[in-house]
Amino acid sequence: MRKRLGVILGLLIAVVLLAATAQAGTRGTKVANVTLAGWSSGPDEDALLNQVINVFNKTHPSIHAQFTVINGDYPTAMTARFAAHTPPDVFYVDSSVAGAWAQQGVLQPLNSFIKSSKYDTSAFFPSLLGAFTVGKSIYGFPKDWSPLALEINKGMLGQAGGKAPKTWAQLQSVAQTMANKNVVPGGKPICLSPDWARMLAFVYQAGGSLTNITSPAAAAAVNFYVGLMNKGLATTPDKLGSGWCGEALGKGKAAMIMEGNWLLPFMKSTYPSVQYGIFPMVKDKTGGNLAFTVSYSMAKDTSNKAAAWTLLSWLTSRQGQTIWMSKGLALPSRKDVKAIGGRQAFLSAAPYAHGWGFGNPHFASAYTVMNNDLTAVIAGSKSVAAMLADIASALKG
Amino acid sequence: MTVQTSVVDAEPYIPGRARAEVARKAFFYAVILLVAAVFFIPFLWTLVTSFKTIPDSVNVHLIPHPWTTSAWHAIWTQYDFKTYIKNSVFLAVVVTLCNLFLSGLGGYAFARLKFPGRELLFLLVLGTLMVPDQLRLIPVFVMLTNWHLIGNFSGYILINLVTATNLFFMRQYFLTIPKDFEEAAKLDGAGPFKTFSRVMLPLALPAISALVILQFQGTWNDFFWPLILFGQGNASHYTVQLGLAELNFNYSTLWPQICAGSVIAILPILLIFLAFQRYFISGVVSAGVKG
Amino acid sequence: MATASQAAPALRSSMLGVRLREAGWGYGFVAVPIVVFGLFFIYPFGYALYISFFHWGILGKQGGAEGTFNYSAVLHDPIFHIALKNIAEYTIGVVPLEMALGLSLALVINQKIRGRNFVRSAFYFPSIASSVAITTIALYIFNSDGLFNRIIGSHTPWFHNAGTVLWAIVGLNAWTTSGTVMLYYLAGLQAISTDVYEAAALDNTSAWRTFWKITFPLLRPAHFFVLVVFGIGALKLFDQAFIVGGGSGGPNNSTQTPVLYIYRDAFSNFDFGKAAAAGIVLFVIIFVLTLVQRMTVGRQEAA
Repeated sequence: MRKRLGVILGLLIAVVLLAATAQAGTRGTKVANVTLAGWSSGPDEDALLNQVINVFNKTHPSIHAQFTVINGDYPTAMTARFAAHTPPDVFYVDSSVAGAWAQQGVLQPLNSFIKSSKYDTSAFFPSLLGAFTVGKSIYGFPKDWSPLALEINKGMLGQAGGKAPKTWAQLQSVAQTMANKNVVPGGKPICLSPDWARMLAFVYQAGGSLTNITSPAAAAAVNFYVGLMNKGLATTPDKLGSGWCGEALGKGKAAMIMEGNWLLPFMKSTYPSVQYGIFPMVKDKTGGNLAFTVSYSMAKDTSNKAAAWTLLSWLTSRQGQTIWMSKGLALPSRKDVKAIGGRQAFLSAAPYAHGWGFGNPHFASAYTVMNNDLTAVIAGSKSVAAMLADIASALKG
Repeated sequence: MTVQTSVVDAEPYIPGRARAEVARKAFFYAVILLVAAVFFIPFLWTLVTSFKTIPDSVNVHLIPHPWTTSAWHAIWTQYDFKTYIKNSVFLAVVVTLCNLFLSGLGGYAFARLKFPGRELLFLLVLGTLMVPDQLRLIPVFVMLTNWHLIGNFSGYILINLVTATNLFFMRQYFLTIPKDFEEAAKLDGAGPFKTFSRVMLPLALPAISALVILQFQGTWNDFFWPLILFGQGNASHYTVQLGLAELNFNYSTLWPQICAGSVIAILPILLIFLAFQRYFISGVVSAGVKG
Repeated sequence: MATASQAAPALRSSMLGVRLREAGWGYGFVAVPIVVFGLFFIYPFGYALYISFFHWGILGKQGGAEGTFNYSAVLHDPIFHIALKNIAEYTIGVVPLEMALGLSLALVINQKIRGRNFVRSAFYFPSIASSVAITTIALYIFNSDGLFNRIIGSHTPWFHNAGTVLWAIVGLNAWTTSGTVMLYYLAGLQAISTDVYEAAALDNTSAWRTFWKITFPLLRPAHFFVLVVFGIGALKLFDQAFIVGGGSGGPNNSTQTPVLYIYRDAFSNFDFGKAAAAGIVLFVIIFVLTLVQRMTVGRQEAA
């Protein structure tokens, strides 16, 4: 009997070992393999990225780059790999976590590579490169970016006078006209996300900043944003039966929304018949916008830094980025690469845009506090001053 | 409510109450059908949406117009779902078999065999239920990396050889079985393994069915660990759930494709369920027939 | 083993042999599970216990203080208190609902009814889809102009309203896990010998009484199992809270849970020491609750 148990146990272990050896693959070793990891933003983008990588592999026969998609929980999957000292060689870094990852020492500073290969970093928009710069160390090059713009349903705008708002006051008056004329039946003139990734743009427009979040300018911006909702001119997407404001625009439940470049492929595929215009964000005391950007960065723990640098610098070079921009899926992070037509409202934001992440190592964590508090402020159960104080302390870690 | 209706079923037949009984039965079936419908709706919605166009998919109404199979075509040609299914089946079968064997043996030991430290070890088993995955992720990942078990299936199988839930479940089931059955075997001089395999295992058919269904489904639907353990490598190690996640983009969710993929993801579990559910009514434990 | 050999002189050697052999078999049967649990649960738990006394980042120990500072940070954090309060409400709400629903479904299916196979499959359907998929679909059905609100004629965004979101998750999870609970109870019902029912039928006991006097108490091991497994599962709520609140714990902290708290500390703040401390605190709470259950519901079950 004991023997039989042993046999069965042995069989079990054999199955596991077999599975293990069957899966262990072998690779050619002549070329340097470089792993590239990121997430996927859609089948079109995947195909384009593979096209870019194929060009790289053809022009660099000594290096073989391979792209891996990690969709789902990218930061967690990457954290596990950092902890095990087995990260991919080159990978995407969202600007919101760049500060934290840099502080944890998992990103390779690129300064010495920039210096030795005389790489010209002045071609990047400074605010985008700044999102990946901590002190004097550069931890990645932006691969593309998007600011916010004001998207307006054309028919509804026409009924309200046809002129897109340029200032806070105009935004409010256009919304008021829309509300008076009931231009948006069953909805609201404006859809506003309960999200600091939208509201913070207003803080910069009021002359405030994240680093000085308890300033009167910041409070004024919050009061304006939440005030639009309290006046009945705006509401959050969930009240419009939508997951986000893009959906509300598509469903005709909102006339004006503030979203980025990512809205365009969504509207094209899901609401192809909705006519909307793209206008620059409104201004108050000054122009203010946010730059959502993603970099190609190098792991500190990679064994072939030279090959990784070759890949990273080529992908963000003028040549690499020109192919990446050829389908107009994203906005160029380099001034010397042209964007596809119709993106002027986005590109005009470059001088006013602030890199989302702000180089603060506690930003990703503070962001959850920011949004959680904002929902409370909108619901009227927390004061603006208390929220801003919470944020100031969360940003300190 | 359902309990009350069992009154109807078991009560001896009394002629004068026939009409009331018919009414109650009708009510009973109406309620059951309603509950069944509520439970069925998500699947129906998923199936229907898989035949919609993307703009149509955001509408609530149930009938697609126009009908299209483009989502099915897209996921079958653009993504390698054949490989994903093969991988998922392989993992689910191996993990389920290992769990069945190890938690059956272990559950029997915890329920019936006496050995010093049994209660302490059992508390340890319960204790494993209390450790959240988020807490053990990093140490387990680092350990598996050091053993070169990342990027292939063996690491995943190893950490899922047996789960505390299954072991605990089998123990509880064996506790419910009357002791008379094994006493007879013991008198015949059968050792614990023979008693287990010849007497207890056949008696445990309903529990085995539940375990097979639930473990197969659990492995099939697992997303977190496959993502962490196989995500970096190539798509040849993708499971169905990892494949489905590829369709879920930040701002543009391709509902028809996701729904078509979900239908594919549900079918194998449904087959397993249909194959094993019949053991729930056979009443294997009891000598007699029951209702 | 030591106690067995000390007691040896008092026992007949053959008796001792039988006991020793049974113990040997027992250890053999549980050996592999114990090794697996030891490696992948006990060791990580010990590791978490260790790092909870340090500043610990992605790449290991960081300088600065050592000691119990992480624990005092967690225990004095108002967000952690809210998370505990939320999870207590959620667990008290969801576990009895899951048990009642699962047992009811199992009892219905355990009877001779027409179309039993269809009904059983329908009852099991919500359990089939993965939790991520079902939550996404539920968000869609329960949004302010979704199917559910159209049926009841309201515009409540159930999953976005601080007052309703936790109860919406309770309803969602009770619904989706009821099929699983049903299977566990169904298996338990099969193990009850028909003799006891026959005896009850002879006494002409009503089915209602039979259920409460015979079936329900005989299901004690199943009750204990469902209570412990689903109770612990409820206390570890993460997936739904994460999706609904976008990981922030909002709106207004209403989806804040202890595991979400651990996750945020570990994977967006990279403060693994504090995350581990929160994990240990949660573990202690669950452990004490489980011990209480073992001494009450789980009592006498092995008799």
